[in-house]
Amino acid sequence: MSGDGGGRGNNGGKGGGGGNGVLRRVLRNPLGLVSAVVLALIVLAVLFAPLLSPQGPNVASLRDSFGGPTGGHPLGFDSAGRDMVARLLYGGRNTLGGALLALVVALVIGVPSGLLAGYRGGRFDAAASWVVNLVMALPAMVVLLASRAILGPTVWVLMVVLGVLISPSFFRLVRGVVAGVRGELYVDAARVAGLSDARIVARHVLIVVRAPIIIQTALVAGIAIGLQAGLEFLGVGSGSTPTWGAMLNEAFGNIQRAPTMIVWPGLALGLTSASLVLLASALRDALEDRGAPAARRKARRGGSGLVSSELASPELVSPGLVSSEPAPSESVLSESAPSEPAPSGPVSGEVGERAELLSVRGLRVAYDLADGTVKEVVHGVDIDVRAGEIVGLVGESGSGKTQTAFSVLGILPEGGRVAGGSVTVAGTEIVGLDERAHRALRGTVVAYVPQEPMSNLDPSFTIGTQLTEPMRYKLKISRAEARKRALDLLRQVEITDPERVFASYPHQISGGMAQRVLIAGAMSCDPDLLIADEPTTALDVLVQAEVLGLLRRLQRERGMGVLLVTHNLGVVADVCDRVAVMHDGRIVETGTAEQILHAPEEPYTRRLLGAVLDRAPARGAWKGETA
Amino acid sequence: MKKTISGVALAAACATALTGCAGGGAKAGGAGSTLSIATMTLPQSLDPADANGSALPFFQAVYDTLIKREPDGSYSPMLATEWKYSGDRTELKLTLRDGVKFDDGSPFDAAAVKANMERFGKKAGAQAKTLKDVKSITADDATHVTVKLAQPNPAMLYYLSDAAGLMANPKSFTKPGDPLKTKPDGTGPYELDSAKSAIGTKWVYTRAKNYWGSKLPYEGVTISYFDNETAIVNGVKTGQLNAALLQNADQQAGIESDPKVKTVKQEFDFQGMILFDRGGALVPALKDARVRQALNLAIDRATMLSKIRQGRGTATSQIFGAKSAGYVPELDTAYPHDPAKARDLLKQAGFASGFTLKLPRIQAIVPDALASSLQTDLNAIGVKLTWDDVDAGAVRRIFTDRAYPAMVMNLGQPDADWIGVGDYVLPGVFNMFGTSDDTLKSLLPKIQAAPDGTAKADLQALNRHLVEQAWFVPFYRMSYLHVSDGTVRVTPQSGMAVPALYNYAPAK
Amino acid sequence: MLSFVARRVAAGVVLLFVISLLSYLLLSIPDLDVGRQLLGSNAPQATVDAKNAELGLDRPVFVQYADWLAHAVRGDFGTSWFTGENVVQALSTRLPVTVSLMLGVTGVTAVLSLLLGVWAGVRRGVADRVVQVLGVLGYALPGFLVTLIIVVVFAVKLRWFPAIGYTDIAESVPGWLSTITLPVASLSVAGVAGVSQQVRGAVIDVLRRDYVRTLRARGLPPSRVLFRHVLRNAAAPALTVLGMQFVGLLGGAVLVEQIFGLPGIGSMTVTYTTRGDIPVIMALVSVTVVGVIAVNLLVDVLIGWLDPKARTA
Repeated sequence: MSGDGGGRGNNGGKGGGGGNGVLRRVLRNPLGLVSAVVLALIVLAVLFAPLLSPQGPNVASLRDSFGGPTGGHPLGFDSAGRDMVARLLYGGRNTLGGALLALVVALVIGVPSGLLAGYRGGRFDAAASWVVNLVMALPAMVVLLASRAILGPTVWVLMVVLGVLISPSFFRLVRGVVAGVRGELYVDAARVAGLSDARIVARHVLIVVRAPIIIQTALVAGIAIGLQAGLEFLGVGSGSTPTWGAMLNEAFGNIQRAPTMIVWPGLALGLTSASLVLLASALRDALEDRGAPAARRKARRGGSGLVSSELASPELVSPGLVSSEPAPSESVLSESAPSEPAPSGPVSGEVGERAELLSVRGLRVAYDLADGTVKEVVHGVDIDVRAGEIVGLVGESGSGKTQTAFSVLGILPEGGRVAGGSVTVAGTEIVGLDERAHRALRGTVVAYVPQEPMSNLDPSFTIGTQLTEPMRYKLKISRAEARKRALDLLRQVEITDPERVFASYPHQISGGMAQRVLIAGAMSCDPDLLIADEPTTALDVLVQAEVLGLLRRLQRERGMGVLLVTHNLGVVADVCDRVAVMHDGRIVETGTAEQILHAPEEPYTRRLLGAVLDRAPARGAWKGETA
Repeated sequence: MKKTISGVALAAACATALTGCAGGGAKAGGAGSTLSIATMTLPQSLDPADANGSALPFFQAVYDTLIKREPDGSYSPMLATEWKYSGDRTELKLTLRDGVKFDDGSPFDAAAVKANMERFGKKAGAQAKTLKDVKSITADDATHVTVKLAQPNPAMLYYLSDAAGLMANPKSFTKPGDPLKTKPDGTGPYELDSAKSAIGTKWVYTRAKNYWGSKLPYEGVTISYFDNETAIVNGVKTGQLNAALLQNADQQAGIESDPKVKTVKQEFDFQGMILFDRGGALVPALKDARVRQALNLAIDRATMLSKIRQGRGTATSQIFGAKSAGYVPELDTAYPHDPAKARDLLKQAGFASGFTLKLPRIQAIVPDALASSLQTDLNAIGVKLTWDDVDAGAVRRIFTDRAYPAMVMNLGQPDADWIGVGDYVLPGVFNMFGTSDDTLKSLLPKIQAAPDGTAKADLQALNRHLVEQAWFVPFYRMSYLHVSDGTVRVTPQSGMAVPALYNYAPAK
Repeated sequence: MLSFVARRVAAGVVLLFVISLLSYLLLSIPDLDVGRQLLGSNAPQATVDAKNAELGLDRPVFVQYADWLAHAVRGDFGTSWFTGENVVQALSTRLPVTVSLMLGVTGVTAVLSLLLGVWAGVRRGVADRVVQVLGVLGYALPGFLVTLIIVVVFAVKLRWFPAIGYTDIAESVPGWLSTITLPVASLSVAGVAGVSQQVRGAVIDVLRRDYVRTLRARGLPPSRVLFRHVLRNAAAPALTVLGMQFVGLLGGAVLVEQIFGLPGIGSMTVTYTTRGDIPVIMALVSVTVVGVIAVNLLVDVLIGWLDPKARTA
């Protein structure tokens, strides 16, 4: 799973820059489509201004001023008796051209320097960052006005200066992303493979920063257009060059005489800005959909929250290497993989006699997709867990095992819901149970150990806080009591220096340690049922064994029932009493661990066994494989 | 959406409850209250040496002038009770009011007048030039002063009713750091309340305790500076400001529709093209009077006035204002819109194929409509007009480097004819190439030496000559609007855009 | 922590020096002939020259700058060339106006953006659409148009608030509130539009994090997860944007200051720079730079407090 997960993440990242897929996604989004069409129309109209406008933008006849629409002049005339259509079209040329100029200046300054600073770091980074701080601290208005006084009052001068003033935003964006990526493994791998820096930057790094730059560009274009209009209003204008800002200002100066004159330039400006911001948001959504899981991973790993906060968008992110249980849409995709038809209907000898601790019958999980359709990902699953027993739920990535686990916990992701069936936990039916009552079960009756340790701890709080908070809430105990119990728990999960770990933040401890902390967290309110979702997958082989041992020990000591979700049949062999094999949203085979491992009945189970055995040796070193 | 609106409304409700009624900032209802005036002019300081033009009310609050100028332009006693010229008009004897004291108790006397006027002439102030004809000032006794002039100056009484006549306490002159700049020390009807004032934005004056003269109707006066008329209009509409002057035609139209607002029209500035280069140094064509006349005939003044100023003003071809002695009514229409005749004149002058004029354009003075209509009108007679966009600050190129042959400006039309003549006709900034001719050389000395009110014929002759020679291309006199929130009656000051501080009174 | 702040302050001082030098040069190059502007276009050239000499403008630029610096480090910023006001005094009356605006706008923006952003990010669906539409509107509407509409409706027509002017908070708190309410509202439109989108994005991003699921799985109620964990983690990006907005207001409040006739430093910057009143502008530049440095430092310290990783970095 991790292997193909990594591959997918990588592809997602590479394509994330704005390839055809993204374009198609943007255009499929109605707002994205509309804004793109509006922008395209505006740009075309402005480009073909000489063909479209009835006369030149400066042809004036004072006699016609403030005149309403006439035959050849559909929008009438402005205060100087110039044709409004011509002013709008030619004004658009200068307005959009000016914004383009500002953008080009900002990009030319900001992007290469950001790339270099982010990729090389060191002295250049320090120097560039200092200059950027300088530019950002410059009093923009003074600089604009002074440059205007020196270079002349034209819109082009203002836009070049504006470009320089906003270039830091590109620098910081690019530098942040690149610095984050620099440490990423595939860049390391490329370096090891002997690629030159230029090649690496071109092939790996540029691709990663492409998307955020495109979004930032759309936003900055809108800002440049708005600023230009604002400057015009302050009398810091474009001189005799027609621009939308100048038109707006002129209309404002005659608002008593001709109040409607403000409409056209206002509309042009508003439509353009709105289209730009909507396009940016459509782009963002398109990129987000596509790289979401990978994106999340990166933002977390890259460390500095600032990097992604530049635009506060998860898509600023590079491909991740590991994939968590994929999002529903992806699981849909990946499920097309199996070639053999899955057996229909439950294959289980357990229907009827329901276990006391956990009993699942005919569980169906469905997702409401964005296009209004419903996608069912779990098609009627039966499973039982009794007190004191460990049941393995085995299947490939995307088989629906995690969805099943989440249903029991009641923590299906957004859009997901239990579409049918019955789930009883310690005798309580949870399908249709109200959220509050369901919540009461979590922690104390049923607890959860997640797959990836680091991402499942809140980076902003200490381990101690995260351990004590649920205890204090669920068990209504004092802070001191909770602390004592937490330290105790840490000791129980074989952490040697509980005090230190208690006071640490998640980023200060190792992955194995974090997994122990999560197990301690799951144990903290003495649950009867533990749901462990791939609890060892993300860990080194040695640590895997330790954590499994720990789980087994705790389970025995406490007599818990455990539902162990895993794709790893080695883990099953180690700890499970019984096993349910899941494929394509259905349970295909259930039995004791021994039975399943040694005498599988289903061809699918056999295939699974074969695959695992082949890949087993590589498991510990998966990180290397993915590059 | 709902959330935002209700949030705003809530904040609104709170603030309204707290303030009771937030709308009424200034109350200028009856006598004894405060007058709140808006201005777009900043005084450079409150030192009389820096006094200039529209900033005069700032000074009138704290200083008195030697002579008072009434709204109609006539002179009446103030710190000087009598004045008399000698026969050759080179000696002016002033009798001073007795018993007037500065705040520190030192008397206002002839020595003070001498000290003030001598200092005024020497300081690098905008109006220092107005005393350039003063040869000597003698204190004959405590209440009598003799001012000797190098040559007659018909505007001298005007100057003494203006910046040059402001009298400050001479004791402040010797103090270090020129304290008068921010701590005015005069005999005026009000005192500056430094604690409440914020120099640069708001000047708060309170009534002086022992003012020698008759009290002005308001206990206090607040003058607030604004950099745009939109804020002023809103302030007057809501009664936060009692009075202001609006120049912009559209703002005028906007406020007239408000039933509570009272308005008074006044024509003061004229707008037009000042042809500097009558000698043809930069643009040879301009040397020929026929070319200058052609420019005048090319302009469609009526359309410009109705479209650009929304009809607020009077089209004119002369630079003399309607209240001045040199004004000749029929000269307003001396140059009708006649492009054919203009082309003819150009042809006669040998410029049938036209020429190019490159003029500086300050956007605040030359809006788009004016810029393009001038281009269109001049283009119609073959003169290609190009604009050089400059900022208001870029004056050095215009006046020092003399880089442009002409410029479109808004200029005042003073009642005192000699001031206009001095600014626009005599060699100086607006006649930067020092153009003159025989007619001028004979008329000007006569006008200069004539006793008050006797130069009318010569002034009109001068005016006719200037129009005939087309020294200028005036477009129109612009009407400005004095507005008040309804509680104040404003009397315009003849020959000034801004009313004197004495011209405000509670409305009946 | 202390050494971090000290290092930043030292870097700030260097920055201040460099920017002041750059600004002085920028302001001096255009040669705005201050004397001529002061005395009017009809003043004789000799008087103009005398005035320029009086102001020290006849000296080389670097001598002028050195002179300015020598006085400035002692807190003496001179007097305005155009109004004669003491620059320090002038700033001390105008700075509170703009700072009031900035604090008001930042407060309103922070609170409203948080509410709207969280609402949209958590509820999605209709709430999300509403907030997004508001965001686009706020972004696309020209700022001065919004301001003008607000003045006309709430001040001129309804008379709920004064249309112009500023009352100092020391003079009257209700007066202060009533004078800054409309300007703050006008400026907050765009701010809320922008920042609420950031908050929304950050909340959605954090909500998708694994640890949020894990916290829910521990049985913590959604409100607690949201307010304690989601907001804390979403705060850093929002804070960065808010900080940038705050800094932007230093110059961006000009329009609003002009329309409301507020004597703040935004409109001061425009008028005085256009005229070339170097003593005033240099003081403004110094204050602005110090403000920017201080705000950036504050934001970084706050983020360090919120995000333990940034602390050790």
